[in-house]
Amino acid sequence: MLKVSKLKVLGLACTVIAGLAATTTANAHPRWVLPSHFTVSKEGGDWLTFDVTASHGTFVFDKPAGSEFAQVVMPDGRKERPNFVIRGKRRSIFDFYFEEEGTHKVAINNVPSYYTAYKAGRRDTIKRVKANKAERANLIPEKARDVSTQLSYTRAESYVTVGMPTEKALEIEGKYLEMRPLTHPSDIVEGEDVSFQFYFNGEPQAGVVADITREGTLYRNHQEQIDVVSDKDGKVTFTPNVAGRYLMKANYKGELKNDPMADKASVNVHFTFEALLQ
Amino acid sequence: MTLLFKRLGLCIALLSSLLLPAFFATAAPIPATATLDVELNLPKIDTTMYARPYVAVWIENSKRKSVRTIELWVGKDEWLKDLRSWWRKVGRYDRALVDGVTSATRPAGDYRFTWDGLDNDGNRVEAGKYTFYVEVVREHGGRNYIRQKMTLGDKPFSHRIAPTEETGDIRINYLIK
Repeated sequence: MLKVSKLKVLGLACTVIAGLAATTTANAHPRWVLPSHFTVSKEGGDWLTFDVTASHGTFVFDKPAGSEFAQVVMPDGRKERPNFVIRGKRRSIFDFYFEEEGTHKVAINNVPSYYTAYKAGRRDTIKRVKANKAERANLIPEKARDVSTQLSYTRAESYVTVGMPTEKALEIEGKYLEMRPLTHPSDIVEGEDVSFQFYFNGEPQAGVVADITREGTLYRNHQEQIDVVSDKDGKVTFTPNVAGRYLMKANYKGELKNDPMADKASVNVHFTFEALLQ
Repeated sequence: MTLLFKRLGLCIALLSSLLLPAFFATAAPIPATATLDVELNLPKIDTTMYARPYVAVWIENSKRKSVRTIELWVGKDEWLKDLRSWWRKVGRYDRALVDGVTSATRPAGDYRFTWDGLDNDGNRVEAGKYTFYVEVVREHGGRNYIRQKMTLGDKPFSHRIAPTEETGDIRINYLIK
């Protein structure tokens, strides 16, 4: 009897640690993808390569985020898997042969993760366990207080255009946080206004907070980030004043109603794009 | 009631068919003898890895829509995208146009070519405001993007465009013979 409960405690402790580790990685190191090129003009197509990592610096390789879930949404909307995937110590990479005319979306979205936070004991310490609403009853003490389960989901995505730009791959799937470019990703030009629209579970979402940072933060003193918050239609507008590669990190935190899996959500879109020279 | 609207519609259609030619008359094509002669110099550049530049020369109308690509000097189509503006505004939309207008890269030197005043579809452009564009990109080198506003009508004109890193003298002469 004693042995069993000890095992249970050990198991619980492991889950807590695993849960903590997972959330720390998710929160502390934004995961992103960096394409070698955003535009293909070669007739018959071309190979492009993609770096996937999680890091604090913009386009600085740090944690070996995987590319196993990478997919390419083709100009007609169907989904393909990358041809080659390699995982290193500080990044993973994959290659894909782009030969169909039009705009492709490249996405590394992983799967939703859940953790439950609660208070227990006399000192009101906040504890976390990697469990969704359905699982949590078996994993937290009966007397736990302020129990709340959060869904986390991050999309790391970018667009590649072969020849003439198209719109199909820009469509949203209606899940979690999504960004629909109103300015086509291949038409982002230095000094010109760019508009994006955010959706949460398929509806335009106000209050999405995003920062947009140009590459090269290691070699300048200030982030020089652009901060935006989506309006009532979920829209943001900003102007990249300098050509270059940018990472937009957008987050939305909101309550979930009648969701069997979680009470609230913290969902992200990490979008990589280039602002072209005039 | 609906009959009245139908009659009214017919009346408007008749009127506009009478008025439309008058409207078009204000946006008449440029004279048939009008040409834009271009003199362009590619400067000699002393550098360890010199490659002949890629050059695009094109015309846009007042709505910033390209009407004609005059010259396109490139190597492999893989690098067409490096002519950033020309590719984004023109090249990516029309592979046939690209194939039709492409010619080989040129060494440093003086070049002369003429725009016949026709758009990409072979129609004479309307008189009005246009912009003349030159984009020059060199591998291991720089890029210059040159714009010159101009009004095409029945008055000849000349513009001299100051040299840049990748371009020497450029002169455009709008002539009506």
